[in-house]
This record gives sequence, structure tokens and C-alpha cells, in this order.
Amino acid sequence: MKAVLILFDQAHYSQIERDLSKLNIRGFSAWKEVYGRGSRTGEPHYGSHAWPSVNNAIITVIEDSKAPQLLRYLKELDTEYGNLGLRAFVLNVEGMV
Amino acid sequence: MKIYETAVRNPVGTSLIFIGIVLIGIMFYRQLPVDLLPEIDVNMVSVMTTYPGAGAEDVETNVTRPLEDILNSTENIKQVTSTSKDGISVVMLEFNWGSDMMNIMNDVRDKLDLISSSLPDGTGDPLILKFSTDMVPVIVLSATATESANALYKILDDQIATPLNRIPGVGTVSVSGAPQREVQVNVIPEKLEAYDIPLEQIARKIAAENVNVPAGNINTGSQTYMLRLQGEIDESRELNDMVIGVNRGQPVYLRDVAVVCDTVQSNVMESYTNGQRSASIMIQKQTGANTVAIAGAVKQQLPELRKNLPPDIQLVTVIDTSDNVKVSIHSLLETIILALIIVGLVVLLFLGRWRGTIIIMVAIPISLIGSFIYLYVTGNTINIISLSALSICIGMVVDDAIVVLENITSHIERGSRPRQAAIYGTEEVSLSVIASTLTIVAAFLPMTLVSGLAGVMFKQLGWMVTIIITLSMAIALTLTPMMSARMLRSTKESKTSRFDHWYNRHILPLLDRLDAAYARLVNGAVKRRGLTLGVIIIIFILGAAVSALTLKTEFMPSSDNNTLSMTVELPTGTRMELACATGQQINRLIAEKYPEIEINSFTVGQADEDNIFASIQENGPHIMSFNIRTKEARFRKKSVNDIADELRSDLAAIPAISKFAVKAGGSSGSVGGGSTMDVEIYGHDFAETDRLAAAVKTQLESIRGLRDVTVSRKDYRMEYRIAFDREKLSLNGLSMGEAAGAVRNRINGMVTTNFREEGEEYDIRVRYDEGARQSVEDVENILIYNPAGVGVRVRDFGKVTENASLPEISRKDRQRTVTVSGSLHNRALSDVAADVSSVISSLDIPTGVQIEIGGSLEDQQEAFSELKMLILIVILLVYIVMASQFESLTYPFIILLSIPFAFIGSLLFLAVTGEPLGIMGLIGLVMLVGMVVKNGIVLVDYINLNRERGMSIITAVVHGGKSRLRPVLMTTLTSILGMIPLATGTGQGSEMWQSLGIAIIGGMTFSTIVTLILIPILYAIFGGNGVKRQRQNHFRRLSPHSQTLTLTKQTEV
Repeated sequence: MKAVLILFDQAHYSQIERDLSKLNIRGFSAWKEVYGRGSRTGEPHYGSHAWPSVNNAIITVIEDSKAPQLLRYLKELDTEYGNLGLRAFVLNVEGMV
Repeated sequence: MKIYETAVRNPVGTSLIFIGIVLIGIMFYRQLPVDLLPEIDVNMVSVMTTYPGAGAEDVETNVTRPLEDILNSTENIKQVTSTSKDGISVVMLEFNWGSDMMNIMNDVRDKLDLISSSLPDGTGDPLILKFSTDMVPVIVLSATATESANALYKILDDQIATPLNRIPGVGTVSVSGAPQREVQVNVIPEKLEAYDIPLEQIARKIAAENVNVPAGNINTGSQTYMLRLQGEIDESRELNDMVIGVNRGQPVYLRDVAVVCDTVQSNVMESYTNGQRSASIMIQKQTGANTVAIAGAVKQQLPELRKNLPPDIQLVTVIDTSDNVKVSIHSLLETIILALIIVGLVVLLFLGRWRGTIIIMVAIPISLIGSFIYLYVTGNTINIISLSALSICIGMVVDDAIVVLENITSHIERGSRPRQAAIYGTEEVSLSVIASTLTIVAAFLPMTLVSGLAGVMFKQLGWMVTIIITLSMAIALTLTPMMSARMLRSTKESKTSRFDHWYNRHILPLLDRLDAAYARLVNGAVKRRGLTLGVIIIIFILGAAVSALTLKTEFMPSSDNNTLSMTVELPTGTRMELACATGQQINRLIAEKYPEIEINSFTVGQADEDNIFASIQENGPHIMSFNIRTKEARFRKKSVNDIADELRSDLAAIPAISKFAVKAGGSSGSVGGGSTMDVEIYGHDFAETDRLAAAVKTQLESIRGLRDVTVSRKDYRMEYRIAFDREKLSLNGLSMGEAAGAVRNRINGMVTTNFREEGEEYDIRVRYDEGARQSVEDVENILIYNPAGVGVRVRDFGKVTENASLPEISRKDRQRTVTVSGSLHNRALSDVAADVSSVISSLDIPTGVQIEIGGSLEDQQEAFSELKMLILIVILLVYIVMASQFESLTYPFIILLSIPFAFIGSLLFLAVTGEPLGIMGLIGLVMLVGMVVKNGIVLVDYINLNRERGMSIITAVVHGGKSRLRPVLMTTLTSILGMIPLATGTGQGSEMWQSLGIAIIGGMTFSTIVTLILIPILYAIFGGNGVKRQRQNHFRRLSPHSQTLTLTKQTEV
């Protein structure tokens, strides 16, 4: 099992939600107000007067085989709207209840 | 969830709410009454007290002064003026604007109750009259007749007045100028003396004979019958056979001593229309009724009513106030539509998108129509003030929407989907949108608190703009994001149309080049900020100096409403027939020389007591009042002012005329009637004040720009005075009153009963035949019967002497006054006022006499001081709004510095266009305060944003300026260009708003150009100082000795 942590500009939220269901991924958790900025490029997302944009975060735990598919979807989205910002990190899941 | 998020997520609900507002607005609009001005609660109360038989001076000492003394203590009173005439005292009380007139009326009534017992015997009860704008007739019709002239009154009363009275909203319909029927019993004094019958006996006898008396009931069998005595005469000729006394056993019939004439009243007011004898029908409306609707209903009924009239009676409309209302409203509507088109074009040009333009333009009709709901709910009318508010707002209501849409678009261009861009784009600018709306509200809301006449006018303007702008903010925060989310296309989906191609090829490069040029300019200016600041300061000083030198002021511009009024006086005491002939002469002159004049009607003669409207105006047998109606402004070349000028020179050439005044714009009240310059001379002594008034008059006549200089005090009038010897009277058992009454009965006549026919009553007047009341001898020969029944002639009781007396005495602030007044023409009030005060200071003024300047100047000074106060309050409020938004005291101050430039721009532009600064111009300045700071807010807000994003001050300033240039130019251009139709308006009534439009255009243009440079520089200077201070602190903390240094410093202190 892999956990995928997706951090992205809030504008992507509904699209990613649709993508997840297209890939038959049912379970996920989301945070609505996430602040931060990229290490190299991209605008800061601080939700402040100067930087009003805000990130959302989604974490979803999926079968190992689905992870590359999901990443492909996300990569496509990121290249299409390069200015908004989208990053995904795949982590190993050690155990579950 | 935030309001814009809700709106974007619920497009159906959002759009339906606004559609609902528009529907309700349209529904209310259709029910709103239309009028020229907002309802003005008039602040005048007059107290009329009759004191029959007393001369003007007696009335002044015995009635007017006690009344003035007690009424002067009424709360909120501003001014007491009075006129004392023969037999009547009129005290006019003027109260502060906005006082509660109900309370004041009660107060006045209480005070009069207190005083009325101490007034001399014989004074009538004081009559309180509250003035209101409803007293001005809505329509004045004029009927001319040839054969039916004598029956005119009854015909008009029955056929026109009564049916018109049934129209809902019509208050009173009065017929004047038509002689009323009267049965005259003209007694021949010699015959009366031969039969030894006093005149009073005849009158009493006729009254006693001419009665119907119910005499009770009789029961006969099962029935009850009423018993009635039918003594009233059926025909006036029956009077001839009435027995009025017995002489030597023979009955004396009325025909033996008198001639009975069934005729019309003599010596009443006569009116002439286009030279023909006519009667006027005045139609007044009920309070709060719709002028235009009433005028429409009356006009609709007229053709029907005309059918029933005899063919020789012609009806024409002399005054129709609704015409002016309709034309003014129509020209304002044209202005609004023109402004709408201009604003639309500007938005399209800058945005380059059809969809965006539509989204922004939708804000205009919704917020404008929504304001009708306010008008309806508060019981206001559609009038030139409320419509002008709409026209003023058009350029401003799109501002908020522009800011929001601009930001949403830039989000979309960065790659957001429209829906997300709508929500987050709105959120980013929502604060600055709210702040800039608040500054506009801060400028307009205090307007509703202004007192005085200006306050009455601007209360509605202030509320309307506040409501429209607030509504536009609500639209910008809900409807605009919602429509953007639905209608805008994201960058990859968008298709380029032919318009886009054209726009991208021709307009976009221009705008880009403009941005780049501006960025270079700001960059250069900021680098050499000292020099640039110096240049701007020099511009400011030069501008201030030039505008201070060229500034001209006025009170209110006069407007062309197709009417003129003239008052022409012949020497006091001239017979009405002569005045009438002069009137006809003027009339022929008008008919020949002035093709622009359509209808010319004049009245001459003493007004009836029951015709209040006419009796307020100047009237008398020697006075002619003209009401002239010209063709509509677009059908003639000369303005009413030109026509008035020509009339003046023509009237001056007629030698019989002693005084005249021509007023362009008619007598429709103080608003829009043009300016006057009054010099008030206070003093008790008639001779001294008369001499001074004459001196002032000759001096004023030589001042350029003053016309129609008249002295208010009437000429001394010749009169016969009977001086009875009290001793002789008392020897005969007669009192002064009885003797005077006897004379009055014979000359003026005695009305003791009425002749009734077809339900109408006509006076039966008994008096001496006209041949027996024409000379002093006739008066001296009058026989007065003493209680013993012996007749004694007037000449045996006293003397009849010829005298001169003042027909009326005017007072102001409890002092006798003479007013020398002139009307202004082609010269600003301030210039004329300066000349007048130098004239006054050169005069030799005796002790006990004071001279003051009044008229429009007084009103102007009052209004100007109010408005200057208003500007200060508005600036403070705007500062508060901005300071709380920026959480800073410096940045709002930088922005406020653009206001002086706006004022200078306005004054310079006013000077260039030759418009003097009046109330309207000052209101324009007040509005500017709210409007110019908007640009500053947008600019400073964005520069702040850039600095927070980590840019250096200069980069932040240059970059911020460059990226905000387009929105600033767009909102400024919509505001400026939206005003152009108002400033260049040629329609009727547009004169009023021209100076406001010009002031705003000049101020906005100048201040925008200057502030686009000034604000970046000042920001750089202030911001640079802040950074320097921080840097010094930083270095101090870094240096190793700093800690100990500051510590030792503190211990020393």
C-alpha cells in the first residue's frame, strides 16, 4: 500500500476529486486551508493580503499499482496549469488497522 | 461560507434575487409621482391680521409691532418680516430649514392667543397661513371671450372648474379675472333725501323682504303639512317693485329712488391673454399629488370640456409646470442613456472582451433601478435631483465591478478555472472594494445632514448616491463573481473572434505601450524624486494662484424654462383703465416684435380677497403682472435672458411706466429663478431712508451686470381723508365708527342679502349711483342720519382733505426697511457684490440707519459656509475610512494630498469654461473628495501588496503603478466621461448641473494626472524614510556597544 500526499492550489480541488473517483479510488482525506511555498519556483500560498492563494492537501492510501496512474493524472494537471502549483509525494505505508 | 462563494455556488438564487430587485424597482418606478424638485417643506408662516379703516402707519404701530414682538420669540425663528398696508398687517415668519412645522404652527397659535386680547378693538382674528409649494398652480388656463364675456365666470365655473375639480389629486380650481354677476341697487341720493329715507333702510328692507322662512307644521287629519313662507325674489327685476318706505301715506317703491342693474362687479382684477379679455383658471394640486399626472388628466379632459363651451370662448394654456418637468426629466433621461453608452465603450476599449463588458454593464441598470425602491418607500418623487443622482452615479457604479472583474480575469490568465478564479479573485479585492465604496459613502452621506435650502436639495442626492453605490458594491461582490464564473472562459477554452483579432492588433499594443511609458515615467520620477516633487509643488502653487485670481462665485444658475414674468407699474393711483391701456400697448409690441413669444397674458387690478395666490403677488389698480410663455428652447434662437433684455429696453422706452421688472425663468420660486442683489436699508425715518434708497438706486444702476434696479417702498399715494369733528359728531349722538360706516355704505356699498338663482348666490349691493360718488363734493354732500332720524351732511361734521400717504410699510427684523434690489445678468455674483459694497461704503450714512447686503449673496454665504464645513467633515471621514483600512496614518495622508489638486483642477476648468462656482460646483467638490481618493486607494493598496511580497520600495512603486494603471484609468475615464453629458447638456434645465459636471471633470482629470506621479513619489519618500529608520535600528543592534550605550543613556535620564 502506498500513501499519496497531494499538495495543490485550491483551484485544482474539484478536478482532483473527479480524477480520484475516475481511478476508482474511494477513500481519501483532505485539508482545506494549507499554507506553504515551493522550494524552487511558484508563488507562495499564504492566504494573506500579499499572497492570497491557498493550498489544499489530500492524502489517499491506495494499492501500489494505482500510484503511477494517479501520478500520471496529476502530472498532466500540473503541466496544464503550471502557474497554480501542484506536488504529490508517494510514501510507504507500514501498517493499517 | 463567504458571500461571494455562496453567490458563485448558487447562480440561480443570486440571479433571481437581482431580477427580483429590478422587477420591484420597475414596478415602483411606474407608480412614482414625477415632479420638478423634491418636496420642500416650506419654512414660512404668515400671520394676516385685518384692522379695517386704519392707515398703514396705524396698522404698523398698533398691530404689526405687538405681533412682531411676541412672535420673535418663537423657537427656531430665523427672520421676521412684515408689511403693514391699509387695513391689513402681514407678518411673515421664516424659520430655520428642517424645523418641525407642526410644532411651530402650534407655538405661533399659542402666542397669537396670548396677544390677541391686547390688540386694538376692531382688529380681526389673526389668520395663520402656512406656505407650501403646492400653492403654486400646476396649470393656468386662460379663457378668452367676446360675446359671452359677461357670463364668463359662471360658464367657466360650471363647465370647467367643477368637472376639473373631480380629477383625483386636483386641489382647488379657481376662476379669476372674470367679473362675477352682481345685482346693483344704484341709489340716487337726491330722491332718497326727498323721501327722507336713509340708504341703510333700503338695504335692511331688501334683506328683510328677500327671505324664505319655514313656519312650522300643521296636522290635518292623518297628514302633517309643512308651512313655508316663500319671500325670496325670483328675478332681479322684482326688486323694482319692492316697497321700501311710506311717504305721506303713499308707498315708496325702490324704482322711485334707485336703478336696479343686474350686471357684473366693477373694479375687479381683469386679465388679458394675447390682447383679448380673458379669465384665468388656476389649478392647484393636493399635497403630494403627481404634477405630471394631474396636468395630463386636465389636458385630456379639456377637448371634452371645450365642446360644451359657447363657440366664442377659447381656452389656452398659459402656464403648465408639467411641461417644464417633463422636458427636464426627458433631457436628464437622455443624459443618462448617453452616459451609459460612453461608459460601455470605455469598458469595452480597456477590457477588450464582450463578455466582461456585459458583466460590468449589468451593474448599471440593476443599481439604478434598485434605487427606485428607496424613492418609493420613502415617498419621494422622480425629480431632477433624483435623476441627476442616477446620472452622476453611472460612472461610479461600474468601478467596483471593474476592480473585481479585472482581478478575476488575471486569475484566469494565470490558469485558474473561472469558478475558482471568481471566488478567490473576489476575495482578494473585496476589502479594497468595500473601502473605496465607504469613501464614496463618506462623501455623500454627510450631504444628507446639510441644513438650509442647499440641504433640502442635496438630502435626496446624498441618499440616492449612497444607496446606489452600496447596491453596486453588493453587485460587485455577488453578481459579478457569479456571472464571471458562468460566462468567462478559461484561457485554453477561449476562442478568438474577429473583434478579438482587431483588438489584439490595434488596441492592445497601444495600451501596452502606455503601460511601459508610464512605468518609465514613474521610474524616472522616483529616482529624481526631489526634483519631481519640486515641479509638482510649483504646479500646485501656480494653479492655486491662478484659480484664486480667476475664481467667480454665484449662488444658483438660472435655468431656461420657457417662461418670463414681468411686473409693470404705472404711477401709484393711476386708474385701472389707463393701466389696462398700457398693458394692451405692451401686448401689441410683443405681438409685433417677438415671434418667440407664444402666449402673453397679463392681469391688472386689485385682487379679490378670496384669491390667495393673486393677493400674495403684487397687485393694485396700477400694477400689471405679465406671464409670458415662449416657444420651447430648441425652437428659438434667443434665450429667455436675451428676450428679457430686449423687453427691458422696450419697456424703458415707454414713458408712462414708472417701474418695471422683467424676470427670466418666471416666478416659479427661489430655485432656478436667477440671482438677485438686495441692498437693505434699515431705519425708522421715512425721509432719510427714502433719500438713501434713491441714492443707492442711482449708484446700483451704474454697476455693470445689475438689471432692473427697483426700490421696494411704494410711492406716496394721493388720497382723500375725512376728518370728522368728534364734538360735532357727539352732539348728534354719533360715534366715529357710525359716521365712517355710513360713508362706507354709500361709496363702497352695502351687501346685506343675496339674490339666489339656480342654486347660485349673487350679491345684492346697495350704494350711491356712480354719478353721485365721483368728487370731493359728492363725499361732502353725503347725508348721515343721527339717532333722531335727522340727516346731517358730512361737510357739517368735518372736512375732506387731500393727503399723501405711504400705502405700505415693510419691516425686517423689527425695523423699518427699504430694499433696493436688482437682478444679475452676465456677471458673477461675487464681482457685483464687490462693486456694491464699495458703492455702499462710499455713501454718507446718517446715524440710526444701517445698510446690509441681502438677496442671493446672503443665501450664497449661508450655503457656502455650510458646504465648506461639509467638505472638511467629508475629508475627515474619508481619512478615517482609509486609515482604518490601511492600519496606517501615513498612507491615507499621501492619498489625501491628491484632493487639493482635484480642487485646483476644478476651479481652473470652471474658469476656462467661464462658469462661476455656485452651490452645484461646491457639491461637485464634495463629491470629488470621495472620487479622487479611490485612485489613490487602488494604487497604494497594490504598492503595499508588492512590498509585502518582498519587492524593494522602488520596484514595488514602479511595478505597482504599471499594473494598476489600466484599472485606474478605466474607473477614472468612466467617471469623467460619464459626466460629459451632464457638463455639456443643452437640454432644458441642464444649466443647473453644468457647473457640477465641469467641476468633476476638471478635478478628476487634473488630480489623476498629478496623483499618478505624486503618489508613487510620496510613497517612495515616506517608505524610504521608514526603511532608513529600520536600517539604523538594525545597525545599532548589530554593533557590540549598542546595548551598553542605550542602557547608560537610560540611567542618565
